[in-house]
Amino acid sequence: MELVAALFNMALLASAVRLTVPILLTAMGAVYSERGGVVNIGLEGIMIMGTFVGASVTHVVAVSIPAAGAEAGAAQALAPLAGMLAAMAAGVAFSLIHAVVAVTFRVDQIISGVVLNMLAVGLARFLNILIFGVATQSPGISGFEPVSVPLLREVPALAPLATGISPVIPLALVLLVLGQWVLLRTVFGLRLRSVGEHPLAADTLGINVAVMRYAGVLISGALAGLAGGYLSIEQGRGYLEGMTQGRGFIALAAMIFGNWWPLGALGASALFGYFDALSLRVVHTGVPYQFITVLPHIATILVLAGFMRRAVPPAADGIPYTKEEA
Amino acid sequence: MSAQVRLGLLQAAAPLLAIAFGALVASGIILAIGEDPLEVYALMLRFNLTRSDSVAAILFKATALTFAGLAVALAFRANLWNIGVEGQYAVGAFAAALVAFGVNGLPAFIHLPLAILAGVAGGAIWALLPIVLKLRRGAHEVITTIMMNHIAAALVLYLLADVFRDPTQAGTPRVRTPLFLDSARIPPLRPLLQQFGIGIPEHSALNWFLVLAVVLCLAAAYLLARTRFGYEVRAVALNPHAAEAAGVRIARTQFLMFLASGATAGLVGLSDILGFFGYFDIDFPKGLGFLGISVALLARNNPMGVVPAALLLGFLDRGAQGVQVFAGVPREVITILQAVIILAIVVGYELVTRYVRAQRKREAERAVAAPSDAVMQEGG
Amino acid sequence: MSAVIELTQITKRFPGVLANDRISLAVSPGEIHALVGENGAGKSTLMKILYGLYEPDEGWIAIRGNRVTLDSPSRAITVGIGMVHQHFMLIPRFTVAENVILGSEPARAGRLSMSEARRRIRALADQYGLAVDPDAEVGALSVGEQQRVEIIKVLYRGAEVLILDEPTAVLTPQEVDDLFANLRRLRAEGKTILFISHILEEVLDIADRISVLRRGRVVGTLEAARATKAQIAEMMVGRPVLMELDVPPARPGPVRLEAADLVVPGSRGRMAVRGLSFQVREGEILGIAGIEGNGQSELVEALVGLRAPSGGRLRIMGEDMTQAGPRSIRMIGVAHIPEDRHRRGLVLPMEVWENLILGHHFRPEFGEGMLLDRGAIEGFARERVDRFDVRTPSLRTLALALSGGNQQKVIVAREFGFAPSVLIAAQPTRGLDIGATEFVRRQILAAREAGMAVVLVSAMLEEVLSLADRVAVMHAGEIVAEFARGAATPREIGLYMTGARRTQEVPA
Repeated sequence: MELVAALFNMALLASAVRLTVPILLTAMGAVYSERGGVVNIGLEGIMIMGTFVGASVTHVVAVSIPAAGAEAGAAQALAPLAGMLAAMAAGVAFSLIHAVVAVTFRVDQIISGVVLNMLAVGLARFLNILIFGVATQSPGISGFEPVSVPLLREVPALAPLATGISPVIPLALVLLVLGQWVLLRTVFGLRLRSVGEHPLAADTLGINVAVMRYAGVLISGALAGLAGGYLSIEQGRGYLEGMTQGRGFIALAAMIFGNWWPLGALGASALFGYFDALSLRVVHTGVPYQFITVLPHIATILVLAGFMRRAVPPAADGIPYTKEEA
Repeated sequence: MSAQVRLGLLQAAAPLLAIAFGALVASGIILAIGEDPLEVYALMLRFNLTRSDSVAAILFKATALTFAGLAVALAFRANLWNIGVEGQYAVGAFAAALVAFGVNGLPAFIHLPLAILAGVAGGAIWALLPIVLKLRRGAHEVITTIMMNHIAAALVLYLLADVFRDPTQAGTPRVRTPLFLDSARIPPLRPLLQQFGIGIPEHSALNWFLVLAVVLCLAAAYLLARTRFGYEVRAVALNPHAAEAAGVRIARTQFLMFLASGATAGLVGLSDILGFFGYFDIDFPKGLGFLGISVALLARNNPMGVVPAALLLGFLDRGAQGVQVFAGVPREVITILQAVIILAIVVGYELVTRYVRAQRKREAERAVAAPSDAVMQEGG
Repeated sequence: MSAVIELTQITKRFPGVLANDRISLAVSPGEIHALVGENGAGKSTLMKILYGLYEPDEGWIAIRGNRVTLDSPSRAITVGIGMVHQHFMLIPRFTVAENVILGSEPARAGRLSMSEARRRIRALADQYGLAVDPDAEVGALSVGEQQRVEIIKVLYRGAEVLILDEPTAVLTPQEVDDLFANLRRLRAEGKTILFISHILEEVLDIADRISVLRRGRVVGTLEAARATKAQIAEMMVGRPVLMELDVPPARPGPVRLEAADLVVPGSRGRMAVRGLSFQVREGEILGIAGIEGNGQSELVEALVGLRAPSGGRLRIMGEDMTQAGPRSIRMIGVAHIPEDRHRRGLVLPMEVWENLILGHHFRPEFGEGMLLDRGAIEGFARERVDRFDVRTPSLRTLALALSGGNQQKVIVAREFGFAPSVLIAAQPTRGLDIGATEFVRRQILAAREAGMAVVLVSAMLEEVLSLADRVAVMHAGEIVAEFARGAATPREIGLYMTGARRTQEVPA
């Protein structure tokens, strides 16, 4: 009973919600990219850029604004906002490389993504040295003022989940519903899905395949960048090398589990977020902590092994589009 | 045939152009931090080529990179991504370490091969789950191998810190296994090189694994080019459906190649621990698995290209140390340079491949118009 | 009467090929204008130019007297030209409505208005008599229905001129009748139709005028009412054509291949072949006719060991091969010309010599133990290339560089190696020009003469009828009728292809 209580206490669930967000955001990004037919294995690298840029811009803005006076509160809110936007911009810029290499030059999309991940590691270290003099971490920063969700906080059982949370959490949920709606009900969504299913057919109907694919990849970059910014600004209160811990890849598993739909990705993201939270919390068991930390990774393998067969990727996912005949 | 020569030259030029492009981008970064790129590059060349310890260090680094690159390339040749070399070599190296310090009383000619075999087995075993899940359940190996890397890191850390830590080091900050027995050490290359009048520093880490690495690449190239199995591997990679119709068992081919990849990965760390350190510790070199991907991409997954590609990356790595120490340029600049070279090179290869295919097609179209005795030219 | 479309001196070159050579053509409003010619005569290129996929090197196009530049498909759509592609440009996982509106969606502020889409599609369907359900998923529709979706797609965009590229190639005779009725209705409503085909009966049936292309040039335009088949055929080929192959009578020997109650699963767990029985004897050709997707592909895969049957038995050369894999089936003497040569037949990025031993590579003739004997392989490859007249610059040319006909010759040359006793040929002439088609058909007849038992699966009814000694008709995974050579008309067989049943057995 104690174990059950330990596994489902509110603090743990609240932590699980917090850790679901970065995976969910990135998985949604992956959905946009792959619905458009581009596999983006570089999301991990994009997240890394998001964590670094998010934290460093937050820090730089925070120290350059005078802390005293009446505007102190506003200034404090401004720094994480600037950091978050910068993280998204960095994600977009970084994913642009993937788009150029994989869409324009039609290089194997996995190769491009893998190289992007390597580039991110080196680039983050280098820039960190330039800005902070060390390779692996930024100074500590403060994030957004926590918010409480109206209505939900009145429900006693849910209060711990709805009070004092990062504003990015409700934002993620809004983006989630929005993403599902955009893909299903808008012109953009229909066209994006069409280039992921049958780019030649889309092309003959006057849809610019490259433009749509760029859009999918860049949106994935923005979302993964945001996820990275959330990790370093809201979760970590600073950048630390390796803090993404493979979440970019875990998010891809969540996307597959969710059958390439944003809402579908929610379930697996929550599962991974839960194991993530568990790995941070359960210290007083007989199991060595090293094994607890890999719970999310084991869960990812299990999910892929158990559910991959059921899922159907977009028909042209991962295939470069070329007009020329073979 | 001048056209043939021209295409060949083009293919050879692609990597050089990519290196030049990478150097150009890195120059921008070096300029941005207020240094002179030309001076930095000159320093790098001087540091790498005029010092015998640099040459030995490059060859030592290239040894591990050759195994890592070959491991990635072998999987790639069967249309599989082995991003798990990182985890496989950690497990392999730890398995070898266990044998190297844990087994007593064997002569070197048994103990060392046994330790190497343990490394090979460790690497192969860590590759087993991803390939089985891929073939049986369709789980994408890119994601599963990356997850296996995280699990390997945790497992090795646990075994090292909590189970096999050298008890004599308790209370010190050093977390390492007991020292290996001499019978499990890989002999250095220095004595041999001295016989040929080549002098390298006394404590150079360079060892016989360099030779093994080169031999393994040759063997892999021969296997792929000249054997039935190699033929099947190439067919499976280029068109699995046609290979299947021709009676090739695809799953078996992929399974064997992935295990070979994992087994090769098991060798990556051995040159370091069995050939140099003599123990396995918490600072055991990491990241070689990911560098292996770069090596394989540079080599276009051709085993014969792996050695020069590994040398290039070894060269850059050593140069990075040089410029960091003597010019104050962070070595991460060179990491970025590497990534840019790889990106440029994959784009370059793609463009060249497409161009070459178009040329070949044009040639064949002309041949259709010509009489059929054109067949007799330059065959087989 | 002024022309809707007027092409003037259109020329298009590809490396080494003059695809269109100063083509001039005028299509009048409200006519069905057929464009005929062999594969490689330049029809496809010309259509792609009209549809904005290629730009001509010389010449110009005028629509209703105004010169236009068609530099993209969307531009072609704007000027009222719509294309119904031979390989449908439909997204199987989208609904009919989604497929139709894609690219010109009714929307408010980026939000799709599906009710508006449905309304417009229903209106078009009513006006032109094209029955479709806007909410059906396209992947679940029959080929004929999918073609209607393609036509609606084009009409939805306001096309005045419809180009149909080989529209009957995938249809049953009955579906062809429906299509022609639709086309006549469209003409009655004032649309102009450009109809591309190489089947002369159809062209004579549906067209008002016929233009014949040969080697990139228009060799003439005829009034359909006054043209004859022989006349058009001669214009197409440039010499008088013998329309029928000369087939000597069959001399069937003992049974070599026998399927008994064979059940083969399809891709989604459903049974694709449902209890099928037949025998093929030495020296005879069993033709299998049917609309594609009625289990033929799965049957062929089962016969060559690529798909395990879930019931029944398969005996080849007297041995039970029901659960055998492709390698054992090859070794027992079965040759296979696959339906998709790029997918199953060749490894395109490999060289010609390597492709010539694909599936023979494990034979002891090609080396001892693990090693391959390059000399022996080269000798074999050279002999094959010479005997089957494969036009290739060298044995080391990549297969992808060869023309379709030469690629198919590589496959035939390979499969006829090592004296097979059974030949399974699926869609063997698909996409080949007349010369290569004739070559392949002659090889199949030669195989029969050499005593092979041949199973010929083809969606081209005329091919089955001209080659096969017996014709079995497949529908929904079963053989619904069987005829001896000459015992049934194409129209009768077409009826069975759509599901009619024949009860009495025909003596084999």
